[in-house]
Amino acid sequence: MKNNGHSTQVLVIGAGIAGIEASLLLANSGAKVYLIERNSYFGGNVIKFEEVFPNMECATCMIAPKQQELLQNEGIELLTLSQVEAVQGSAGDFTVKVKKKARYVDLENCIGCNACFEPCPVEVDNEFEQGFSKRKAIYIPCAGALPNVPAIDTENCLRFKGEDCQACQEACIFEAIDYTQQDEELELKVGAILAATGFKPFDPSKTKQYGYKKFSNVYSDIEIERICASNGPTQGQIVLRDGETPKSVAIIHCVGREEKGYCSSVCCMSSIKLAHFLKKKLPEVKITQFYSDLCIPGRTYQKFYEEVQESGVDFIRARVNEVAEQGKELAIKYKTEDGKENTLNVDMLILAPALEPEANSDKLAEMLGIPQGDGGFFTEKKPDLDSSVTTLKDGIFVAGCTQGPKDIPDTVAQAEAAVGRILSMPR
Amino acid sequence: MAKKIGVYVCECGTNIADNVDIDRVIEAVSPLHDVELVEKYRLLCSEDGKEFLKQSIQEHELTHLVVAACSPKQHELTFMNICAAAGLNPYLFQMVNIREQCAWVTADKKEATEKAITQIKAAIARVRYHVPLEKKEMDVCPDVLVVGGGIAGIKASQLLASPDRKVYLVEKTSSLGGKVKGFKKLFTDMESGSVLIEQELNSLQGNKNVEVLTDSEVEQILGFLGNFEAKIMRKTESEERNLSVGAVVLATGFDLLDPTGLYQYGYGKLDDVYTSLEFEEMNISGGATGGKVLLKNGKPPESVAIIHCVGREEKGYCSRVCCLYSFKFARMLKSQFPDVKVSHFYSDMCIPGKSYQKFYEETKELGVEFVRAGKTEVAQNGKGIVVKYEAEAGKEGEHAADMVILVPAMEPSSDTNKFAQMLGIPLDDEGFLVREHQLLAPVGSSIGGVFVVGCAQGPQNISESIVQSEAAAGKILSSLVPGRKLELEVKTSEISETFCSGCKICISICPYSAITFDEARGIALVNEALCHGCGACAAACPSGAASMKGFTSTQIYQEVVELVR
Repeated sequence: MKNNGHSTQVLVIGAGIAGIEASLLLANSGAKVYLIERNSYFGGNVIKFEEVFPNMECATCMIAPKQQELLQNEGIELLTLSQVEAVQGSAGDFTVKVKKKARYVDLENCIGCNACFEPCPVEVDNEFEQGFSKRKAIYIPCAGALPNVPAIDTENCLRFKGEDCQACQEACIFEAIDYTQQDEELELKVGAILAATGFKPFDPSKTKQYGYKKFSNVYSDIEIERICASNGPTQGQIVLRDGETPKSVAIIHCVGREEKGYCSSVCCMSSIKLAHFLKKKLPEVKITQFYSDLCIPGRTYQKFYEEVQESGVDFIRARVNEVAEQGKELAIKYKTEDGKENTLNVDMLILAPALEPEANSDKLAEMLGIPQGDGGFFTEKKPDLDSSVTTLKDGIFVAGCTQGPKDIPDTVAQAEAAVGRILSMPR
Repeated sequence: MAKKIGVYVCECGTNIADNVDIDRVIEAVSPLHDVELVEKYRLLCSEDGKEFLKQSIQEHELTHLVVAACSPKQHELTFMNICAAAGLNPYLFQMVNIREQCAWVTADKKEATEKAITQIKAAIARVRYHVPLEKKEMDVCPDVLVVGGGIAGIKASQLLASPDRKVYLVEKTSSLGGKVKGFKKLFTDMESGSVLIEQELNSLQGNKNVEVLTDSEVEQILGFLGNFEAKIMRKTESEERNLSVGAVVLATGFDLLDPTGLYQYGYGKLDDVYTSLEFEEMNISGGATGGKVLLKNGKPPESVAIIHCVGREEKGYCSRVCCLYSFKFARMLKSQFPDVKVSHFYSDMCIPGKSYQKFYEETKELGVEFVRAGKTEVAQNGKGIVVKYEAEAGKEGEHAADMVILVPAMEPSSDTNKFAQMLGIPLDDEGFLVREHQLLAPVGSSIGGVFVVGCAQGPQNISESIVQSEAAAGKILSSLVPGRKLELEVKTSEISETFCSGCKICISICPYSAITFDEARGIALVNEALCHGCGACAAACPSGAASMKGFTSTQIYQEVVELVR
């Protein structure tokens, strides 16, 4: 895998937990790694979570040391705000065109003091916080995001809309803000490519009967993750949109499973985790989970489920047919397996949607020349009979939810497996 | 030699200067004993700041350094590198976080200033007792011992073996291939297990960098990442082999829970009640029935009941793959006997993954029945076997069958205990070897350089087992690079020979098995290659013999005294 006499070079696409783990291992072996990330920050979906199952570890505390190590590793070039534009060549000799958008804030000079936020006159919904809070046009998505350097969002920044605003530049005493930065086209020569672009949740408004986006107290699980987050819009206060504390909560599993046609592996556990978290924060809250089949396939997961069940969380095997608004409450109509129909009224409804490949993965699959199978996930070389990290294209590997829905340890194992494959490629 | 402590206070632009009175800080700490100079700087982490710091250290011939600035997470390494560049041992340096811990969080400037002064004084008190620490490097052996010749062990060996890395694949039975070799069909492709194994062995056999040792048992493994010594007993030759390797991959597989003790299933008492592995065996041509699925009376089955989750309650975990492989059984039966009735008794359908629901639905379309059942029993009446089960809403169901296949929980193989004891790796409540980190290091163990993959790690399918083998290979290829030395943890524990009373408390408490007992001298010894510097031994040692480099009792005491003064 030598490249014109240079050392091993690898492109890792996506700086979530899979991309981070793979990059660190590759760089520690002596390889040069280009890690590209389309956001201005890195850490993927994991940094949106307050705690992760089954040990209820603080997710950001768990991943931050790895992120720090990555930022300090000289073998890794982290390219944020970057996307792959074209891929040519074959194993051992790929040429990859990458478009790197300007951040307009110098990564070296900025110390992350946030002094530029306050004077910015623009206020828009913070996508990272699922719209629960506002951000400025120069921003970091949440406290603790890395690199701790803001970016200017040119779609909303007044200056980039033709107005004569330089409020952020005037506030920066480190001369870190540079409006003259240009987008760059990079051409990278690499021997191997790892696709690790992760997942996005299925849009629950596609499943009409649950009233998502129609009733204000129906939430997706990722929205609740941010409400639970101590660095989130409510600083971890569990409240409804009107500021009230919910007294009863229902969680519906398998949202979108029928539409997608597969089990997403992690939703039962993440729903159980949310129940655990809500019970800890609000001991009096009544929680009911509606599920069809419990899928908790990890050696320590059942114990976690039993603990949550014993803490007073109800699990009802039923199909939810309709959700209606009744005053401030939500009326959940469900049918159990014996055909009986019933209604449960709650203050808050949380939907646990299926996992889908990340939004840009169709385009990436096409550029890489990798077929996509069920649900748009990248197809492996020999499904079920060989490693799931190899693809039909030699030299191109896949890890994490790009290959299929899975939990954190399985994602990390795939990232490490891809490294095993890359480092044992014939040179 | 007289100590010359340099204290540098970073203004961090205005971030610290705005809310900490830096001149007052300088005034307060300048008179302290051994403090050579106190300087402020606008931004120490900038290029000119770093150059200033380096020259200042050299010019004043400082012996110790305190930097009061931002979080050590951000710039401790930056300043340690400056120490090194200036010729000062980087461990003679202490960083104080007066930005996140003072300027940014303490609203009152006077209070923030006093807090910063206290923290800097504590750092000066501590750094005075810092001693130079050296990074140590160790030669490593890149070779690998793989234990278990199933699919996981075979795949790990394939990936790891290269001209500069030898792999020893040790298998206790007479041939490679593990359990997969005995599966006539594999889900979801319904390809043959023996064909898969044959293909994998072909690519292994041509590889002269892999030495396969069948009929061999591992008797001892001693050592640590980069330097293990393993003793292998070759049973047929009664010969002992000693191997030096840098890493160990345990791929010792699984056993099925023995359902004999679960009386409700009638296993061992009723004819035609089989475990899943017995059913697999019945299907292979070399088996007792010549590959035919037959009842004890020699007739083909007409109604087969497949009971899921046998022993799940007892084990306390879901075995992950049983639902899927039992669909495979239904398909095998249906293809042999198109008219056979196949009924699954299950509680929860666990088919996680992008393509398994399709496999389930296709199985259903073959006319296979799925019955949701709570507690299930297998009994015999005049006509034959009857499956009694708890149906929905507390109703009782009964189902007549002539063959029952029990799908028992998967357990770690019987060798797991042996290796747990041999290596000092704890077992979790479920009986599996504990992971290095449940989420971030899924194939690592508590011992660096020892990896656990495949079903030894927990129930999983073939592809998942292979991924874990490759993950272990990835970790090994990344850390044990031929010709490269391994850098050791600097801040390890050390045990004073003079003060050690030989009580062995530290040995029992060390989570990394890094401490051994020297019988001859009656003292405990720390292996620096294994020590992670967690400090558990230092905290537990009743005679004060164990201490942590960089966190000695004196250093911590002096620091705390200043903080609480």
